[in-house]
Amino acid sequence: MKQAQTFFSDGEHKWLSIVRDPDKPNYLIDTNEYMVSYGGEGLLCDPGGQEVFPPVFSALTAEFDPGRIAGIFASHQDPDIVSSLGLWLEFNPHLRCYISWLWTSFIPHFGGTAETFVAIPDGGMEIGLNGLTLEVIPAHYLHSSGNHQLYDRKAKVLFSGDVGAGLLPADESDLFVKDFDRHIGHIEAFHRRWMGSEKAKRDWCERVAKLDIDMLCPQHGAIYAGSDVMRFINWFDELEIGILRS
Amino acid sequence: MRTDRSGTLGRGNDGTASDLRRIVCINEEIKTIVAIAFRINLMALNAIFLAKRAGQAALGFGVLSNELRGFAVALGDNMNELRRMTFSSVVAVTAMVKRARLERILECTDRQSDGKAQALLATRRRGCDADDMKRIQRELQQRLDDTARLIELGAILARSAKIEAAYGGTFSAPLTQVSTEFDSIIGLTLRSIDSLRKQHLTRKET
Repeated sequence: MKQAQTFFSDGEHKWLSIVRDPDKPNYLIDTNEYMVSYGGEGLLCDPGGQEVFPPVFSALTAEFDPGRIAGIFASHQDPDIVSSLGLWLEFNPHLRCYISWLWTSFIPHFGGTAETFVAIPDGGMEIGLNGLTLEVIPAHYLHSSGNHQLYDRKAKVLFSGDVGAGLLPADESDLFVKDFDRHIGHIEAFHRRWMGSEKAKRDWCERVAKLDIDMLCPQHGAIYAGSDVMRFINWFDELEIGILRS
Repeated sequence: MRTDRSGTLGRGNDGTASDLRRIVCINEEIKTIVAIAFRINLMALNAIFLAKRAGQAALGFGVLSNELRGFAVALGDNMNELRRMTFSSVVAVTAMVKRARLERILECTDRQSDGKAQALLATRRRGCDADDMKRIQRELQQRLDDTARLIELGAILARSAKIEAAYGGTFSAPLTQVSTEFDSIIGLTLRSIDSLRKQHLTRKET
């Protein structure tokens, strides 16, 4: 069963991760869910697909009262990102879902109404969480055409969606990247194939390199911490992408 | 079955939301009891050392402290099992919501196709998720009853420790203090388990 782990904690300010589901059927892609909480209120980042709703809900409930979730941040429109939305809305119909304006008429196929969605403009925006300001960072075409990431300047955490994502072998269940060179082997093919715009990638690398980041948290695979964050950005900057090659 | 304003469906938001909220409440109580079990374990460990220092006069107290330690471990195990069961409840609730959604779509298809989707609707095995839910509820009830009995045993152990503390000679005062703490902390778990059983009964009645 999935378990929630706190990987950043400073008083009432916390980041929780819900990663690696050993009981997940093999035909489903493994996903990471994250929640940032401040003063007892939470924002759920990429809550996952509807198939993983039970383990995610249960794991979260063991650590945090889901009644205190104020909203959902969706990095993009993929089913493994946010197809559980309708189920979260069953629990709390007043939840707000922050997603790129590009997807606000697509995502209601997963659930929700016009009142549910907060359209994020292309340039990003700020999201207030009980006094904490979270910054929505544009990451279009990485990989989705309407794609955002979430930066917590105070915790120095960047939730990077599919950037940095990798599908790890079953025996590599560490929360953090332990051996960067080895880890790259698990993420290279994915980034080459899924990231489609060289220009967008360069732009993202330049912008994100200027941010103060302690942890870069992708939606699949392990978290990059410390010097591995910059190593990843540099590696990604030099990677040839948008090509059909394994 | 109905469709609400948000387009969510099935048993309706109220039913699903209350099921999920109940699971959240149960998990909150589980967290409380797990924290108490951890504390009892530590207290019992300290009590064992205290009994050893007290020597012959606190032999009985030492035995009871050991038993209380075992009780704390068993209580923690029971809570893990309850947590596993609440996970099964979330699985069942999710399946009910998904099934209800599918049925609504099929009903809508049936209306728009002049009954041609009737065959599809007929293949839906209505009620099987509800049966799953009932089975999980029964298992949960059983586990709650078992846990309540376990806590009653813990309360008896704590009361016995109080009696043994009286025979602790020069260590009688600290032993009495420890056993009184056992008694009050186990009282807290009794209240938590009563609250869990009440929540569970409310679900069964609805």
